[in-house]
Amino acid sequence: MSRGTSVRLQNLTKRFGRVVAVRDLDLEVNPGELVAFLGPSGCGKTTTLLMIAGIYRPTAGHVYFGDRRVDPLHPRDRDVGMVFQSYALYPHLTLFENIAFPLRLKRVPGEEVKRRVKATAELLGIGGILERRPAQVSGGQQQRAALARALVKEPQVLLLDEPLSNLDAQIRLSARAEIRRLQRELGVTAILVTHDQAEALAMADRVAVFSMGELQQYATPEELYHRPKNTFVAGFVGSPPMNLIEGEFTGDGFRSGELRLPLRQAPLGRGWLGVRPEHLRIAGEGHPARVLVVEPLGREAIVIVELFGHRLQILVAEGEKPAPDAEVRVAFPARALHYFDANGRRIGPE
Amino acid sequence: MRRYLTPFLFLGPASLLILLFFFTPVVATLLLSFTDLATTTFRHPSWVGLANYRDLFADPFLKKILANTARYVGLTLAFNVGMGLLLALVTSLVPENWGDPFRALWLLPRILPPVVYVFIWQGMLAEAPMGLVSDLLGVSKNWLVETPWVAVILANGFVGASFGMLIFTSAIRAIPRELFYAAAVDGATTLQTIRRVVIPMLAWPILFVTAYQTLSLLTSFEYILLLTDGGPGFYGTEVWSLHAYHLALSNYFGNVEFGLGAAMAAVLVVIGVVVSLFYLKIFNFRALVTEPKIEV
Amino acid sequence: MPLLPRNWPLWLVVLFLITLPIGAGILWLVLTALYNQVHGLVPMGKLAPQNWRFLFEGSVGGRPSIWVALKNSAVFAAAVATLEVLIASMAAYAISRMKFPLRTPYLGMILTLHAFPAVSLLIAIYYILRLLGLFDTLIGVILVKASLDLPLGIWLMKGFFDQLSWDMEMAALVDGASRWTVFWRVALPLVRPGILALGTFALLSAWGEFILPFTFIVSAKSWTLALYMQSFMKEAFVDYGLMAAVGLFYALPVFLLFLFGQRYLLNIYSGGVKG
Ligand SMILES: Nc1ncnc2c1ncn2[C@@H]1O[C@H](COP(=O)(O)OP(=O)(O)OP(=O)(O)O)[C@@H](O)[C@H]1O
Ligand SMILES: [Mg+2]
Repeated sequence: MSRGTSVRLQNLTKRFGRVVAVRDLDLEVNPGELVAFLGPSGCGKTTTLLMIAGIYRPTAGHVYFGDRRVDPLHPRDRDVGMVFQSYALYPHLTLFENIAFPLRLKRVPGEEVKRRVKATAELLGIGGILERRPAQVSGGQQQRAALARALVKEPQVLLLDEPLSNLDAQIRLSARAEIRRLQRELGVTAILVTHDQAEALAMADRVAVFSMGELQQYATPEELYHRPKNTFVAGFVGSPPMNLIEGEFTGDGFRSGELRLPLRQAPLGRGWLGVRPEHLRIAGEGHPARVLVVEPLGREAIVIVELFGHRLQILVAEGEKPAPDAEVRVAFPARALHYFDANGRRIGPE
Repeated sequence: MRRYLTPFLFLGPASLLILLFFFTPVVATLLLSFTDLATTTFRHPSWVGLANYRDLFADPFLKKILANTARYVGLTLAFNVGMGLLLALVTSLVPENWGDPFRALWLLPRILPPVVYVFIWQGMLAEAPMGLVSDLLGVSKNWLVETPWVAVILANGFVGASFGMLIFTSAIRAIPRELFYAAAVDGATTLQTIRRVVIPMLAWPILFVTAYQTLSLLTSFEYILLLTDGGPGFYGTEVWSLHAYHLALSNYFGNVEFGLGAAMAAVLVVIGVVVSLFYLKIFNFRALVTEPKIEV
Repeated sequence: MPLLPRNWPLWLVVLFLITLPIGAGILWLVLTALYNQVHGLVPMGKLAPQNWRFLFEGSVGGRPSIWVALKNSAVFAAAVATLEVLIASMAAYAISRMKFPLRTPYLGMILTLHAFPAVSLLIAIYYILRLLGLFDTLIGVILVKASLDLPLGIWLMKGFFDQLSWDMEMAALVDGASRWTVFWRVALPLVRPGILALGTFALLSAWGEFILPFTFIVSAKSWTLALYMQSFMKEAFVDYGLMAAVGLFYALPVFLLFLFGQRYLLNIYSGGVKG
């Protein structure tokens, strides 16, 4: 039961004075899909979302919902629901009236308002506290109320601006799953803004990674993980982030200072070699290295080693972690390596 | 332009009223000051150029009125600022639950209807048995006639003192506590603390209050009008703004000289415009403007 | 001050002494209104109900009934406060929250007018009211009073609107509201403290207003309490008892507000309302 519409951004640009917040963005979200906008603070995620909602006017470019061009339309004519990072509940209204607000504006008859607010609130598990005001409920409950307010009018597009970032770690995990479940059930097209890559990978069908107002890569979580398009994505997606070693590809290997790695089908020229911490191994053979720091994470540990002058992070099982200052050997995997050229663009392997 | 329709609708009523009762009057004051508009010529005034201004400066009483104005503004200002400062300091030296009621009490002269407030002054200054002052001094006189300037300045001063009091009080509250602790550690007495810590921090507020009240005293005449109406005698307490009002709007001397009154008012209007534009500059007002975040 | 001096009771005495004239004045008014004769703030003689005859006699010395003046004053104050709060809020909302050309100069103009002494415009306003046919009408004075206090009101309300959360306003727009709806249903309810402050200020200021009705109203049927009371001042023989009673009656709302809302009043007037 997909009632979502597709969302298409075409050459979307937004400038604030001299600051370019979003540059020439092209992107399409399929009906019923959940797409995450991922990127560091200030990269233009919220600005993009607000242009989709109609709060900001694009400096250039268009927004389409299905075949309908919506960028000239007032927000109320776009049929979107939105959850804000601060939740933005109306402090002077009860939760019930907060959730009912969009329906009241549409002059939905009182009985129906009551029914729909109740139903949506039940769906989110806040049916029992509807008579309270926002200040009288917990952060998690406020977040649900904000979600209910966005969903109650059954929008075609649901926009979520860091909806989980003000929740504490425990609730955040369950809220992730719940939002995903609801979105699937309702079939609404959803865009989720986040700067937490784990959240994006866990929840989204596809992830759009932004940096400095520009789209870096738009792909499924698997693709982002296995085939990052450039060093920015490689460094931003995955935790701990990918190790990047600057050096020279020689056609049959990679060289950086004293480090020499034989590679099949290596390119030529200066560039970066990427390898994820979970793919490096501390083994009996390999390159000699010295352990600098060991950070236990519970079941695993991050080991930071120095290898020919490079600092590398290695993820090891708790039981296999070396002692600080130990001399170890580090083995590079044969596959799961990433090649980037001097400008940071991915050049292999295919 | 359509997208600006909404803000213009919101601004419409305010803009209309401001246009009607600020902008038009400013222009009208200037225009009228070049005409001979008076009771006798109300239907068909004619242009007289600068004649009104010439008459103004030829007026033998101009000196007296200027002197009265200077006296009124200068002395009332001194009382306002001095009393405001004294009140702010003293109410800050006693516990808050004492200071606040006294501050509120000093608001009373300002919020009482001026007619009632002035009546109280008139009564207290009247002859015995009604007049409290006569009673206390044991000399039954109408002190409003005996010492009109004392009455005018005190009556205005008691109204104006609260303005400085409130501004100075918030300024005192904004002084970082550490400064007081440091002074105490250095062994400063209360008076030394006031002189070395508090007064220097009040320099800017004092300047502000002085500047602000100079302008409003220069143009205000409500309390004088009620208290002495410019008397006693001939122009006893007549000040510039009151004289303009008398000339243009009060049938005191039979023929109302609208144009001449407008010329006097025009002088005030020009001073007002210049000075308030100057305030705008020193207020650093650009810092107060932030861009709206909604573009629909 | 953060450090209370040890000799603060002494300062309290000083404070008491300089405030004495205000207390004496109020006391004088009350006693004079209630008693036949007062000597140095000591009531002499009996209570004087005849001071209050203006409440019962239709007219004192050919004046209109005080109830007419009371009604005019109430209408005047209420209308001025309503107009001012409403119009100032609308303009302040636009200035604080909307984009439009010349927004910054507009704000600068408001700030300039806020400092500008409006009484100097009285002579020209007299002329304008005559041209508009609003001279000697309550409506005319209401419009003038509301307008002259408008820059102050806009400035005050802008400060309150500036505090509102942008997210909340964006949320309301996404929920389907127009700016007009946002203003009425979200913004205004949330600046209630500002509305109360401006409303109180406007009510007090209009209730006491003298110069404007004095200048622009002639007919006794449009008299406000200020004109009613002032008409006694011009008499050759001053009936202090009667006038004190009228004054007390007139100032009663102010005294009540003072008694029950002191802290509130202090907050309003400390909040940058013009002196
Ligand atoms: N209303 C505005 N006026 C001026 N500049 C703005 C405005 N909104 C955003 N910007 C600028 O545009 C850029 C992108 O901001 P945006 O809020 O979209 O970032 P974001 O990706 O949502 O970051 P965050 O994770 O911190 O929320 C920033 O440099 C920001 O300073
Ligand atoms: Mg953001």
